[in-house]
Amino acid sequence: MISNFIPGLIMIITSFLLPTIPQYFRHPAMLLSVGLSALSLFNGYGTFLEWDILGLNLILYQSDSLTLPFAIIFHIAAILVIIFSWHSKNLMEHMATLAYAGSAIGALHAGDFFSLFIWWEATALTSVFIVFAGNTNAAKDAAMRYLIIQVSSGVLLLIGACLMLYQTGNHNLAVLDLKTNFGIFIFIAFGIKAAFPLLNGWLQDSYPESSVTGTVALSAFTTKLAIYALARTFPGTDSLIWIGAIMTAFPVFFAVIENDLRRVLSFSLNNQLGFMVVGIGIGTELSLNGTVAHAFVHIIYKALLFMSMGAVLYRAGTTKASELGGLYKYMPFTTIFCIIGAMSISAFPLFSGFVAKSLIMSSLGGMGMVLIYFILFFASAGVLEHSGIKIPYFAFFAHERKNKVEEAPINMLIAMGIAAFLCIAIGVFPKYLYQILPYTVDYQPYTLDHVISQLQLLVFAIIAFLFLVKFKLYPSEIRSTVLNSDWFYRKMLPGIGKPLFKKIGILTESLYKNLGLSFKQVLSKSYKFSNLSYIKVTTPSFAGTILISILFIMLVIVLV
Amino acid sequence: MKKNDLKSMGKSFTKYILIIGALLILLDFTFHRHEYFSFAEIYGFPAFFGFVSFVFIVMLGKWLRKFLMRKEDYYDQ
Repeated sequence: MISNFIPGLIMIITSFLLPTIPQYFRHPAMLLSVGLSALSLFNGYGTFLEWDILGLNLILYQSDSLTLPFAIIFHIAAILVIIFSWHSKNLMEHMATLAYAGSAIGALHAGDFFSLFIWWEATALTSVFIVFAGNTNAAKDAAMRYLIIQVSSGVLLLIGACLMLYQTGNHNLAVLDLKTNFGIFIFIAFGIKAAFPLLNGWLQDSYPESSVTGTVALSAFTTKLAIYALARTFPGTDSLIWIGAIMTAFPVFFAVIENDLRRVLSFSLNNQLGFMVVGIGIGTELSLNGTVAHAFVHIIYKALLFMSMGAVLYRAGTTKASELGGLYKYMPFTTIFCIIGAMSISAFPLFSGFVAKSLIMSSLGGMGMVLIYFILFFASAGVLEHSGIKIPYFAFFAHERKNKVEEAPINMLIAMGIAAFLCIAIGVFPKYLYQILPYTVDYQPYTLDHVISQLQLLVFAIIAFLFLVKFKLYPSEIRSTVLNSDWFYRKMLPGIGKPLFKKIGILTESLYKNLGLSFKQVLSKSYKFSNLSYIKVTTPSFAGTILISILFIMLVIVLV
Repeated sequence: MKKNDLKSMGKSFTKYILIIGALLILLDFTFHRHEYFSFAEIYGFPAFFGFVSFVFIVMLGKWLRKFLMRKEDYYDQ
């Protein structure tokens, strides 16, 4: 029976039952549901559940060599998040987190675009409550923006799926290209969730506004689901190589000047997605293996880094670099775990990032793509700057701290410990990771050439940091907002839209007024039309303005 | 004493990093480092590339503050 049960569904059902479970048993129940869902990992490959509805055949549960590694890491991430949030009593967040993880796992197993759409929207609708659970006014506003963007992605996916069905008679997940109009819709839908350049604003806007534990959950699923979807439908799409290369390079500069360390990590997440997107764009067996391996290890070390910053936020009350420093004395374990995460993301040999990133770099080198290779090599120095040095340095060192804080709670330390262990274990024994990758490739990351080359890059980048600090050239941390692509819909569109709607409002209102007056003259008994409160036109709210603007852009795309 | 903790840690960290850096450069002379692109095989190329990239990223980022940095409550206004 369990073999036909959609993976992740049991987690969603459990999430709805959580309110009926006593507080003390909630986390064990959540873990149990993840464990039950994880049984599906042993089912092997094939199609396990289909559903004929309205003349459509929906493939609700299928599994293959691309699904499996993502399914494994999504289950691991769900377990880490549950352990990390063990101390928390926030029921809404627990429900949302478990349902969100379940939806993401369900999405991995969808075999057609309509099933994928359902899960795609489910991840949006569940994760928005995680942002909401940040429980500040800023978090609530960010949640609304997040929802609009995420749902728009789903709508584009649905339009693409419908067009595809209409034009080809097929709606199953297949390799698409950008020569078809449905291909473009689906590409943009995935691109929004994969945080392509200029479509990335939602990520840095919403993730840092979430709670201590919420950000960890958010960092794992949505964007990697998009990477999975891109790897399945657009492997070998040339434009992805450039899109990915831009993604690796440009967030680096934003991360340098950002003050909120969780936002720095969000820029860093964007940069990491770039490496994966490049791998999909190349589209060879080696590069696709690289993308999957990178997504796998990235989920662990990014969760670890977000957990360490979550622990800092929990104990010190802020993650603003300008107000932190010196925590190494009070939070020694968190410091060590954070440094392990930082070394993993920076791709130091013997850490997980190295064995994954090498696959993508080797496929680029092997194909002679010199420019992209060095953009990614350059971006690797950028990763070291913001995630390898900036995060641990400003949080735990930088300067001595005056007020004492406590070490993170034991459950947080356990979650971070497991993640740190995995980072090192995968780095030391990469063959276990390579075994679960989609293609069988004989690859050896630890060659002397490669190790020395990478170490030279990293060590001399650290020396550059020490040099800049010594000569006081390193920019000091300033409390500020760094403009990002969300500026377009947070400032520009309302800036144009609101006055415009106001003008239209005044015009239509005066029109109705005149109409009303003439009606009154014609039908003197008609109060409804002559009563001005019935015809008052209101200017749309901030969220409304954004929504209307997005709908307008989508309308333009459809017409074009 | 307390004030010196971070300083002394920083000093010894710098010392060890410089030693490791020097060793890595010396190691480059002991064997031929194969790379995908021949110009990257020049002695110490990755080291030079890492140093310059890092300085470039930080300096350009610092310069970009002029255009991208706003007050903390910018979006609340």
